[in-house]
Amino acid sequence: MSSDTTPVRQTVSDFLVRVKKGRDELPDDLALFGDGLALDSLEAAELSVVLEDAYGRDPFSAGGELPQTVGDVLAFYEAAPTP
Amino acid sequence: MIELLRAAAEEAPHRVALASAAGVTTYAELVARAETAAAELRSRGVRRLAVLDPDHATVWALLAACSLAGVESCVYPVAATDETVAELRERLGHDVLVTPRDLPAPGLLRPDELWAGTDRDTGPVPDGPRPLLVLTSGTTSGRPQAARHDWSRILRVTLRIRPTPEQRWLLAYAPNQFAGLQMLLHVAAARATLAAGTTFQPRDGLEAMRRFGVTHASGTPTFWRFLLAELRTEGEPAPPLEQVTLGGEAVPSAVVDALRRTFPRAHLSQLYAATEMGLSISVRDGEVGLPLSVLEATDGEAEFRIVDGELWVRSRSSMLGYHDDEPVPEDGWRASGDLVEVVGDRIQFRGRATEVINVGGVKVHPLPIEERVARVPGVALAHAHGRPNALVGQVVALDVVLADGVDAAAVDTAIREEFADDPAAHRPRSITFVETLDVQGGKLVRGRTP
Repeated sequence: MSSDTTPVRQTVSDFLVRVKKGRDELPDDLALFGDGLALDSLEAAELSVVLEDAYGRDPFSAGGELPQTVGDVLAFYEAAPTP
Repeated sequence: MIELLRAAAEEAPHRVALASAAGVTTYAELVARAETAAAELRSRGVRRLAVLDPDHATVWALLAACSLAGVESCVYPVAATDETVAELRERLGHDVLVTPRDLPAPGLLRPDELWAGTDRDTGPVPDGPRPLLVLTSGTTSGRPQAARHDWSRILRVTLRIRPTPEQRWLLAYAPNQFAGLQMLLHVAAARATLAAGTTFQPRDGLEAMRRFGVTHASGTPTFWRFLLAELRTEGEPAPPLEQVTLGGEAVPSAVVDALRRTFPRAHLSQLYAATEMGLSISVRDGEVGLPLSVLEATDGEAEFRIVDGELWVRSRSSMLGYHDDEPVPEDGWRASGDLVEVVGDRIQFRGRATEVINVGGVKVHPLPIEERVARVPGVALAHAHGRPNALVGQVVALDVVLADGVDAAAVDTAIREEFADDPAAHRPRSITFVETLDVQGGKLVRGRTP
């Protein structure tokens, strides 16, 4: 994992604590939905807002497939690092 | 308008009609200017004109002159840029603009030219139509529209105003606004005195209150919120107001409570009015919202009914139509755009129809959210709006102005806890701390452009 993704992982972690779904670890393969973090649609919307505020764009609004895992979120920013 | 000024001048010609940092203008001076300008406008064959002048006495006299000469007047906002003025003139067909500002000719008249003559029109007000145009604030559409009114309809609301020359009213609305026009009419009908600050900012309003001994003031809830904030900051005693009036926006109960505490001697009233609807009702019981009994009343200035959660109004002082548009029926019902809910014996405002936040198909009204956020300790001001979101359409977003010296993170947590047990769609998902909120014409600029 590149060091550029560390702030993103921390942002996701902070968000999860706020919505009372915090975890000690956030492995890349942890699912955002379903049996993983079990984000509902509005929590996912809120996460997209948090990421957009922090980094100017977010993987939920990018028009492609929705990210399914924590790793997908990190990969979005790794693929085209935020300036 | 001229008839009100003449009556006041006849009773007390040297009574001050308007006091400002620029000096004072008496009722006799206003009438003299108006009658001279009316004669000049007739001799020049002017039928329609626009006015752009930061001097309120000039605007007041010109409005009266036009009401006497049967000239359709339209007051432009002083804040308008030269480009906006050009756009308004083009769109509204104003060949004549009375202004001291250096703008491209032709069609410019300086106010001095209108009262330099020796002829005065001392005749009676004319029979028949006496039109005027009033610009909307443009906070909804983003571009002011021009509502066609008639003096005879607008003046109806002054018939019940009794002379109270001891009153000194603050001018907290610009005269280009319908509410500003109402202030000029009200003060003239009351034969009272109007006091103006150097600007319409609450800080300058507060200064004018003290300088001129203001006893009565009418402003938007946003105006009052900022004025209360100014008072808290300066720590001086509040001016001893006898009357506090709110209008132009929904009235949050937190503002009413704060005004009661700050101005304990003052009567609290709400005006329900709009440029298009005219002045519809004044509620003097000091409670938020309208009494349910207004739905039964048929003897006032307006009648009300609720259709699909929206307040409809039939007002005797409503506009006749927009400029260059189809006339509207004089006694027709009109959707106000205000969404309401009956709670007990009150009609409570829930927000504008255009401001409803659509969260994944769930409609969320912003005003009740703002009310609750405003009560969270550390919050000075709050504005709820829909933030576009790719997943659910919109989420509830807040712009929050913090009180002095509070910790943003703590307030953020407190706001989220306040809504923790609400339905998921109603919870604020985006909280942004800002230095101030956008205000236009004394009203909060609502909504957000995606």
